[in-house]
Amino acid sequence: MKVSYNWLKDYLSLKHKPVDLAEIMTDIGLEVEGIEKVESVKGGLEGIVIGQIKEVTNHPNADRLKLTKVDVGHADLLHIVCGAPNVAENQKVVVALVGTTLYPDEKGFKIKRSKIRGEVSEGMLCAEDEIGLGKSHDGIMELEEAATVGQAAADYFQLESDVVFEIGLTPNRVDAASHWGVARDLAAFLKLEDDIELSKPDVLSFEGKTPTDFSIEVKDEKACPRYAALKIEELSVKDSPNWLKNRLLAIGLNPINNVVDVTNYVMHEIGQPLHAFDLAKIQGDQVIVKGLKTGSKFTTLDEVERELSDEDLMICHTAGGMCIAGVFGGIESGVSETTSGILLESAYFDPVSIRKTAKRHGLNTDASFRYERGADPNSCIIALQRAAYLLQKVADAKITSAPVDHYPEAIEDFLVELRYQKLNQLVGQQISKQTVKTILQNLEIKILNETKEGLRLQVPAFRVDVQREVDLIEEVLRIYGYNRVSMPESMKSALIVRPKKQAYELEELISNQLSSRGFSEVFKNSLTNPAYYAEADDLVSMVNPLSRETEVMRKSMLEGGLEVIAFNQNRKRHNLKLFELGKVYRKVSEAKFQEEKRFALWTCGQQADEGWNQESRAVDFFWLKEEVLGLLERLGVKRWKGVTQEGTADFEFLYSLRKGKIELAKIGLVKASKRAAFHVDQEVYYAELNWDAVMTVMPKEEITHQAVSKFPMVRRDLALLLDKQISFEQIRKLARQTEQHLLQTVNLFDVYEGKNLPEGKKSYGLSFTFQDQQKTLKDQQIDKMMSRLVENLKKELNASLR
Amino acid sequence: MLDTVKQLLKETANFEAKNLEEVEAFRIRILGSKGELKKLFAEFKNVAAEDKKEYGALLNQLKNEAQAKVDELKKSLQSKEKAAKFEDIDLSRPASYRSIGTRHPISITKSQIIEIFSRIGFDVSEGPEIEDDWHNFTALNFPPEHPARDMQDTFFVEKDPDLALRTHTSSVQVRVMENNKPPIRTISPGRVYRNEAISARAHCFFHQVEGLYIDKNVSFADLKQTLLYFAREVFGEETKIRLRPSYFPFTEPSAEMDVSCSICSGKGCNVCKYTGYLEILGCGMVDPNVLENCGIDSEEYTGFAFGMGVERIAQLKYNINDLRLYSENDKAFLDQFKSAL
Repeated sequence: MKVSYNWLKDYLSLKHKPVDLAEIMTDIGLEVEGIEKVESVKGGLEGIVIGQIKEVTNHPNADRLKLTKVDVGHADLLHIVCGAPNVAENQKVVVALVGTTLYPDEKGFKIKRSKIRGEVSEGMLCAEDEIGLGKSHDGIMELEEAATVGQAAADYFQLESDVVFEIGLTPNRVDAASHWGVARDLAAFLKLEDDIELSKPDVLSFEGKTPTDFSIEVKDEKACPRYAALKIEELSVKDSPNWLKNRLLAIGLNPINNVVDVTNYVMHEIGQPLHAFDLAKIQGDQVIVKGLKTGSKFTTLDEVERELSDEDLMICHTAGGMCIAGVFGGIESGVSETTSGILLESAYFDPVSIRKTAKRHGLNTDASFRYERGADPNSCIIALQRAAYLLQKVADAKITSAPVDHYPEAIEDFLVELRYQKLNQLVGQQISKQTVKTILQNLEIKILNETKEGLRLQVPAFRVDVQREVDLIEEVLRIYGYNRVSMPESMKSALIVRPKKQAYELEELISNQLSSRGFSEVFKNSLTNPAYYAEADDLVSMVNPLSRETEVMRKSMLEGGLEVIAFNQNRKRHNLKLFELGKVYRKVSEAKFQEEKRFALWTCGQQADEGWNQESRAVDFFWLKEEVLGLLERLGVKRWKGVTQEGTADFEFLYSLRKGKIELAKIGLVKASKRAAFHVDQEVYYAELNWDAVMTVMPKEEITHQAVSKFPMVRRDLALLLDKQISFEQIRKLARQTEQHLLQTVNLFDVYEGKNLPEGKKSYGLSFTFQDQQKTLKDQQIDKMMSRLVENLKKELNASLR
Repeated sequence: MLDTVKQLLKETANFEAKNLEEVEAFRIRILGSKGELKKLFAEFKNVAAEDKKEYGALLNQLKNEAQAKVDELKKSLQSKEKAAKFEDIDLSRPASYRSIGTRHPISITKSQIIEIFSRIGFDVSEGPEIEDDWHNFTALNFPPEHPARDMQDTFFVEKDPDLALRTHTSSVQVRVMENNKPPIRTISPGRVYRNEAISARAHCFFHQVEGLYIDKNVSFADLKQTLLYFAREVFGEETKIRLRPSYFPFTEPSAEMDVSCSICSGKGCNVCKYTGYLEILGCGMVDPNVLENCGIDSEEYTGFAFGMGVERIAQLKYNINDLRLYSENDKAFLDQFKSAL
């Protein structure tokens, strides 16, 4: 919202510089987001003066051009070539002198002494649009006879420079959505320090006049609690005077004509939207406030035909709609140059009704902005008084009657109580009773009753944000100053006991382990491209997506990392170890959604950078498996079961780590076809920790320390010839079943799958370690265990010793 | 015979070697299985009876001295050789080093924020990202059809009843208040979404940390104190804070907090746009309507809440001026944070 410094000075005798005033506004909750110096006309009309044409002759070499001699108050007359059809002797005109820059567009051009078709020209006679004072290009501007030759055009047109504040008005503060409102708020603060006067704008009193003879029928009083209108039968529509145009231009509004300009001016002055209807176009001499049938067509001022809902409140005459109430006027009933009488509307509409309509039609007008936040129901008449006063001045309006006012049930001010003790407790500091009272009164809040404990207050209805005690506390604190509240010496804290590690701490633990192990953490958008997924039924889709690429929530982590790999690969970064902790999202059923946390790991390229003392080795499945097992080990998750799975749509092969039916993790090789979609041209291994599941199987108890055996560990090796499909996991399991107490570890230290072996066979070199807590194991005992083991291996797994 | 032994003893005493090969040759000649000593022992039976004692003693002496000499020379030559070998090693060659990875700057910043608040007794709470209207808006005092809802551009997953991607982690605070009795002292970090076009200054997803403290007699002064502590922990001991009145439906009074610019110490620079202050968070006293919506007696309890964007704090800490860098994940960008604390 733009607020003019000059305009504020109409109501406040300000001594503050704009910069200091901006700081005060920010401190009381009207945040100034920008300060801009404005001239109502670009260039400020510098170098442009008033002149009088003394002589006009024909140009010897051009039919359409004239030679003029112009008096601009200099010793000599200026010779100026002019092409305007209306140029005539004795005219008072606007002259741009040599050296002046004119801005008919943003860039502008400079007036030079030149020769036009052989004749010298020392300046330019200007049309309205050429100096930025209007849009007309019908000829040069003809000024009134009384204009003073040689006067600066800036003075003649009463051009003023102004400072405009851009205020980021919060949605609760509609009371400050006007210059008067801002001035009132500023005064509340300034009065604490200074004797400052807040003066009200001049109005026309309707005293002694009888109400307008006009029928107003409100069919929906809930949506329209108040409808006031003033009939003005006689006025003349024309351009507004410069002061009015300048005010509007300063705050970014285009002047249209005096009547429309006054309605806009009053809205920005006191916050009440007004609407002017052409009296001649109101059929049946009647205004009806009601909804029209759903599907009715209505063309608004912007020449857009809109389809109405029966919930859109309309201002109608007997032959149909004239205006979408409180939102946007119609094209047919508005004020035009031919208008000679108006009906001026000043109403109060229900905020929710206005907001629904404005949203439905995608409209956000200055009027709807104010109505949907809650205008002041009790300023309708004041707004008409002010508008009448201005229209008398600028449109020769004859005001012969008072407004008609349909206001069946007056909207009351709010009655609120304030307890000093509550205020001091919430603020955490004593604010003197006198200060509290002064602030409230400065804000036009009336004290109805006062006791030792507190105040009973009447808050004006326009303060829609002040209806409770806590709102009053905010008002007091806001004006008193947030930054004046001092802080306690010691800190208060609540005692909250949390014996267990929080999930967040475990996430940190694992993330830090991964980064120590060489993984870099990435963050991907969880909104992603639906094209990544073949199956769409369980996707979480946006009703109002930003783009195709961010239309759905990711249901797997894999794709995000492939994007990152592609991005880095294009920058010649090939050896990547990445991880992300994030959520995946799935639609389970109608209106039911599931979110699960995952640790995702991606790796591609070499295990380490090329080195002088080691062979360069590519990452592989077992390299990544080591990392995953390291994470489970750190979390104390033991005795999981490894399951080799068939390939899937995304993976060549997949190894799943489970506990019972719960999948804890999976590791696999991404299919070439999958990564091709991301233009990733190297092998990518992927692993994923199903974090929520891992959390459920983590040991609940503390570690119980076991005495370390004093007796030696014994190792025995076996070289086994095995069928190819026998897995190490099977061997390990069998060994554990065979010897449950003394067998400590089973390890695979050698694999051979080459020549010299029978078809379909492989050779595993295995080591077994044994240890007893109580005694040294004897050879005999170990031999016995080993032979039992060999026997079982032969029997169960068709193994033979090599 | 005796002379031969004496000659060998003398030779042994004087023997010197340049390298281990010479020592080994000497050992083989004297002590080897076909060496001189072996031969001389074999001659024992031919020695005259009266010389046998002396001869035996000399042979033993030779054996011991030769062995000692070999050992001594070996030891000294070996250590010399070793020393020579180490002299040749170029210790400045690159390590066979598995380089460390890095945490993401958003994680690092988030962890720091959490750590700062944990130290003064805040725990961490989390909640769903796909939220219902109640937890994201209505319970937080955003009335249906209120313009305050326009403050946050929302992604909807379903309409009527509305399900949306949460626009702030205040939704988690509602869940905490619904499920716990005061005192409550918690922070909620997490990912949030806004339907905004992606640019250097806006993104459709980002991260927040919101804080909540509810107890008897919690005041605005307590809020200021907590936030001053936080500001100084992040931006340095000399940091000053400034509060501006603002509006959030779920707090009353509401404020935005600025910290004195850590780059120019408040003198005015490019980063703070010559204001000397940087906007970092929103805060306020929990609105009584919110407490009541969550089943907490607003006459008995008061509380404060605050919320900040993690990206914003990281931006100021690390001088990152384009939000898109965070989700691009260029390794060269990420690697810069290896040593971040």
